[in-house]
Amino acid sequence: MPIINATNIHRTFGKGDLESHVLKGINVSVETGEFVAIMGKSGAGKSTLMYQLSVLDEPTDGTILIDDTDVVTLNEKERTAFRLNTLGYVFQDYALVPDLSAEENVMVPLLMRGHAWADAKEIARAAIDGVGLTGKYPNLPAELSGGEQQRVSIARAIAGKPKILFADEPTANLDTVSGTQVIDLITQLNKEDNQTVVMVTHEREYAMGCNRIIHMEDGQVVDIEQLR
Amino acid sequence: MRSLRIGFLLGFRQIQRANFWTTCLIVFVMMLTFLNLIAVSGILVGLIAGAEVAVRERSIGDIVISPLDDEDRILETESFINELEAFPEVTEYSVRYNGNGVLEANYKERRNLQAERDIANVRVTGIDPANEDAMTGLSEELVAGEYLDPGEEGYILLGALYTEEYASNYGDIFETVSGVGPGDTVRLTIGPTSKEFIIKGIVQSKVDDVSLNSYIPEREFRRLFNRIDRNADQIVIRVTNPEENSAVRDDLRLSGLDEFAQVETYEENVPKFLTDIKNTMNLLGTFIGSVGIVVASITIFIIIFINALSRRRQIGILKGIGIDRRVIEIAYVLQAAFYALLGAGLGVLVTYGFLLGYFERNPINFPFSDGILVAEPLGTFYRFVILFIITLFAGFIPAWLIVKQNTLNSILGRK
Repeated sequence: MPIINATNIHRTFGKGDLESHVLKGINVSVETGEFVAIMGKSGAGKSTLMYQLSVLDEPTDGTILIDDTDVVTLNEKERTAFRLNTLGYVFQDYALVPDLSAEENVMVPLLMRGHAWADAKEIARAAIDGVGLTGKYPNLPAELSGGEQQRVSIARAIAGKPKILFADEPTANLDTVSGTQVIDLITQLNKEDNQTVVMVTHEREYAMGCNRIIHMEDGQVVDIEQLR
Repeated sequence: MRSLRIGFLLGFRQIQRANFWTTCLIVFVMMLTFLNLIAVSGILVGLIAGAEVAVRERSIGDIVISPLDDEDRILETESFINELEAFPEVTEYSVRYNGNGVLEANYKERRNLQAERDIANVRVTGIDPANEDAMTGLSEELVAGEYLDPGEEGYILLGALYTEEYASNYGDIFETVSGVGPGDTVRLTIGPTSKEFIIKGIVQSKVDDVSLNSYIPEREFRRLFNRIDRNADQIVIRVTNPEENSAVRDDLRLSGLDEFAQVETYEENVPKFLTDIKNTMNLLGTFIGSVGIVVASITIFIIIFINALSRRRQIGILKGIGIDRRVIEIAYVLQAAFYALLGAGLGVLVTYGFLLGYFERNPINFPFSDGILVAEPLGTFYRFVILFIITLFAGFIPAWLIVKQNTLNSILGRK
């Protein structure tokens, strides 16, 4: 039973002559515990697809079932709650709140889920330890390197044990060493914790640890490459 | 509650990490706004309050005794005074006899009998100089000459606005005599009777009742005005505790003195025009202060809007990871509340810790009063609440505008 099942996904932007058909009837499914990469050239529609699958955007047409929930029918408030309780995100530029410490950045979604302060703090510290940043709890994002910030971002995404982790070009702003560390961390999460991961990336070498690579071109899936 | 707690965390950290001087500037603007709200109306009202204080101090005291409605004078004035003196709360009093006459100056030097006489219609008050001075400090209002000596006769204290020299600043709205000063002789005519007086002194006060009056000893007044019954026109009283003058009034009434005269407090006697002007000034001050509130709310709106707009992507990401929009709105409202509370709090401190005392010591010198700053705690509290609530809205609206935008558009920086 796939945890993500997207059927006939269309996404258009603009109207009339300015209409742009970015996704053209995509069918994608992701199994629980699978690590899937979405690749393609710029403008292929890979990020747009990920936004549909990660409930950050609504498709113009089509159905998306995530963990048996038809996310297309959810209202804004339900979508927000669904993202909080079911999904985790790692963004290209870390997207940490600059005023909060590393620990607080990780704690905020946990508090939102209803964890008590002390409980959230304990989980947050464990998650930060898990990404190799023990002792960096009070550091502000500006006091961390890019790689460290991305690892805090991963800690924030996984601390609540999401069913699916979405990563949007998580290595794009990192040097090779940091990029490799981040990919290793995500791969490790997938292998050791059976974490379902959907990742958009430009670089094939970072996608080599995945189970499958979905190749996109001009808003369509042109190939699905099975690696493992 | 959960939203409040997380919103508080986000808002508090934003304030904590914000640029110190920027925060100071915003708080300073809020403080000035609050002061504008308090001080403008406070000074406008204070002008009139100063006039009220002057009237109370220099003219009518804490309790005023006046004739009953159907009587011309205070009945049995001597008995009344004897009763009055038995009240321990009464510290000072002055018995006044009022009348009108024609004052003439320079009549001895007038060579041409066809020329216009140098006359003025004046109000004349007969007083016991010692009692009046103890009651209203009349001798302190002298701007020239000396005060009346008890027992002496043939002297008059002239209100400054009856002399051309002092009244010329006001144009020709007052009837005056010219070229007179202490030592000069004037003639006071009441009906068919005339008497010469030597001007002993000129009195000038912020209270018109003093500057537009002339004072002679009561014995002479009674003779001149043929007031053989000794019944007075007014008795003004000072009590030990002015705040409780109504209790003394009630005691006086209970003792039966209200059968001889009307017994009223200062508040019941305050000239109506003063109350009307005071209300008008209050309204005017509130209006000007309201403009200040609008300016403050726009300031807060802009600050929060720019703040939220510059963090639009961050807001999108917070929503993206599942943070409820209410949490983010609370964070911004909290910032607005912080600026309002701190600014208004400092405003309260400055008002009560400095401005009130300063204006008390250095009143603004207006022609009709010594202007003070009036800031009633309840009124200040209401203004504080108004400013606070409006600031909350001014903080909420821009946050709401930004937070309600599409999550993905915010994350990607799209319009």
